[in-house]
Amino acid sequence: MNRSPRMAAKAGLQTEAASPPHRIGILPMGEIPSLIPQVMAAHIESYLRLPADILPSEGLPENAFDPHRLQYDAGKTVTALERRTGPEGLSKMVAVLSCDLFVPIFSFVLGEARQGGSWALVSLYRMGKNEDGSLPPESDILERTAKVALHEIGHLFDLVHCDDERCLMHFSGGLDDLDRTSMQFCRYCRQFFKEAVAEG
Amino acid sequence: MDEHLQIMIVDDEQIVRESFRTWFGKFGHRVDAAASGAEALQKLEGTPFDLLFVDIKMPGMNGIELLEKVKAGYPDTSVVIITAYGSIETAVTAMKLGASDYLLKPFKPDHLNLVLEKIRQQRRLVSECSYLKDRLDQFTRFDNIIGRSPPMQKIFDMIPEVAASDASVLLTGETGTGKELVAKAIHAKSARAERPFIAINCGAVPDSLIESELFGHRKGAFTGAVQNRRGFLEVVTGGTLFLDEIGEISQKMQIDLLRVLEEKRVVRVGDSQPIDVDFRLVSATRKNLRQEIAEKRFRQDFFYRINVVHIPLPPLRERQGDIPLLIEHFLTKYSRETAKQVDRVSADALNLLQAYEWPGNVRELENVIERAVALSRSRTLGAASFSFLDADTPAATGNRTLRQVEAAHIANVLAENDGNVTRTADVLGINRVTLHKKIKRYGLKPGATGSA
Repeated sequence: MNRSPRMAAKAGLQTEAASPPHRIGILPMGEIPSLIPQVMAAHIESYLRLPADILPSEGLPENAFDPHRLQYDAGKTVTALERRTGPEGLSKMVAVLSCDLFVPIFSFVLGEARQGGSWALVSLYRMGKNEDGSLPPESDILERTAKVALHEIGHLFDLVHCDDERCLMHFSGGLDDLDRTSMQFCRYCRQFFKEAVAEG
Repeated sequence: MDEHLQIMIVDDEQIVRESFRTWFGKFGHRVDAAASGAEALQKLEGTPFDLLFVDIKMPGMNGIELLEKVKAGYPDTSVVIITAYGSIETAVTAMKLGASDYLLKPFKPDHLNLVLEKIRQQRRLVSECSYLKDRLDQFTRFDNIIGRSPPMQKIFDMIPEVAASDASVLLTGETGTGKELVAKAIHAKSARAERPFIAINCGAVPDSLIESELFGHRKGAFTGAVQNRRGFLEVVTGGTLFLDEIGEISQKMQIDLLRVLEEKRVVRVGDSQPIDVDFRLVSATRKNLRQEIAEKRFRQDFFYRINVVHIPLPPLRERQGDIPLLIEHFLTKYSRETAKQVDRVSADALNLLQAYEWPGNVRELENVIERAVALSRSRTLGAASFSFLDADTPAATGNRTLRQVEAAHIANVLAENDGNVTRTADVLGINRVTLHKKIKRYGLKPGATGSA
C-alpha cells in the first residue's frame, strides 16, 4: 500500500506493527471512483496502524431503499451486511456507498456504525458539495471520506463521541463541522483505541 | 461533573426507539426506551431520568398528556417533544406545558445535538444556581455572627422566629455588636429574602436629605430636584428596610415614618399621589430610647410601632467565651484576604485579648486582628502583635478583676521587652522568681511574644 511520508509523519498512533489482530475490509457499493477506497485504506494504515484490504465493488443495497424518502436506510443496510459472512481474516468492514443514507430520526447521515459492531458505512453522496452550495476540490472530498471512515471505525472499536473538538471522535453535524474536525484522536481516545485493538 | 445524561425515548415505533438508542449510545448517554406513555411513567417511578424524548402520536396516552404528567410528577426531568406531524398549535401547547424543545422528525443530526447541548447547559445552570443559592444561604445565614455563648444562642434562636413574621424589629446594642448583621440575617431568613435589603444610617444622612432619600421627590419639588426620583421606601418594596441609628432622626421624620408604617403608603416630596409600599422595618440604635422618650427627644407612638420585637445584642465583654471563636474566624478571613498564613494566637496573646474590655466590641476585635495579621511576619500572633491595645484606658480596665488587669499588664510589658523575663521583672519592680510564678499562673509564654 502506498503511504506518503506526510501521512506517516502525521500518524497518530504508535502501536507496534507486529501482527495486528485486526484487518479492515473496504467494500465499495455503487458508483465509487477507485481512488476513494485507496485513499481510505491509506488513511486506515497510516492513522490507525491497521492493515486494510479493498474488496471487489458491489451494487447498492436495494432492499434498504426507502421510496418515500428516496434515500437508503443506513440501519437496514448495516443489519443486512452484518448477516453476511465476511471475507476471512477481516474483522471489521467499512462499506463506502455512492447513495444518500438516513436513519429514521435524521434527514441524512454521512456515516453509520453501531458501537462495537462489525460493519460501518460511509456515504459519498453529500461529500461533493459544500454546505454553501459551492463545489470543493477533489482533495477535500477524499479527506472528508477518509475522516468519516476513521471516525466510524472508532465506533466499531467501541469508542464514543468525544467532547474534545480537536479529536477525530468529536461529533460532526455537517460538512463544515467535518472539515474542522481533526484526523487524529485526542490522547484519551488514542489510548482507548489502542486498548480496544489489543483486546481483539 | 458527569455530563452523561439518563435519557428515555418514548415512541411506539421500535425503529425510532432504536435509532435514538444507537445515536445517544455513541455519546455515552444511558438510554432506555418505552413504547407507550404508561410504560414511561412506570419506568420513571423506579429510575430518575434527566431527559425524555416523547412522540406526540401514540396509542393510549398521547405525548402531550404524558408531558403534563411528567412535569407534574417529575419537574426536574426535561421533556423534548418529537413528531412527524407538527403544527404550530401543538408546538405552542407543548412549550406552554413545559417542554424544553419541540422537534420535527426527521431532523438534521446537528440539530439534535444542539438541543441536547442546550438541555445540558440548562441543567448545568439550574444545578449551579441551586449550589450558589445554598452557598448564599450559608453565607448570609449567620456566617458573620459568631458565638456559642448563651446570649448569642438566644439571638440565633430568635432570628428564624422573628424572620417568619412581618413584625417590626428593634435591635439595640453598643456600637460594633453586629446589629446590621442580625438585620441581614433576619432578612435572609424571611420570605422577603429574594427582594431588596436596603440599609440607611440615619445618623450619617442630614435630616434635610433623609426625607427625599426615603420618600423620593417629584421633579421641581425643590431646587436641585431636576427629575422624578423614587425613594428607598418605594425601591425596597417587597424587601427589608434597615434604619440604623434610628435614635438620630428628627421628630418630624418620626411622624412621617409612623404614618407610612400605619398606612403602608408614601407620598413623594412635592407630590400628592400616594404610592402603596410593602416592606419590613428593622431599626437599630445604641441609644436608650426609653430615656430619649422621657427626655422628649423620641416619640412614644413611633417607639411602640418600631419596637414590636426587641432584640438586645450583648457587648463583647459579656460574652468573653466567644472571643477565641471570633479570633479564629477573623484570622481565617484576613489570612485569606492578605494571602498570609497566620493561623494561630499564642496563649499569652489570647489572655491579653480576653482581658481587654473591647469598647468597640466585635468590630474593634475584627480591626485589631486585621491589623495584627497585616503586620505579622510569622504564623503565630504573639502578645507583642497586640501591644498597640491601650491596656491602661479606663474602658480597658473597668469592670475587670485585679488578676485580669495584672495578667494583661504583665503580658504587655513582656511584649514590650521581647519576652525577656529579666528586663520585664526590672520594669515591673518585682524579682524574676515572682515574675516566673505569675507568668505560669496566668499562662503567659515569655519566649513566644516576640514573633510579630
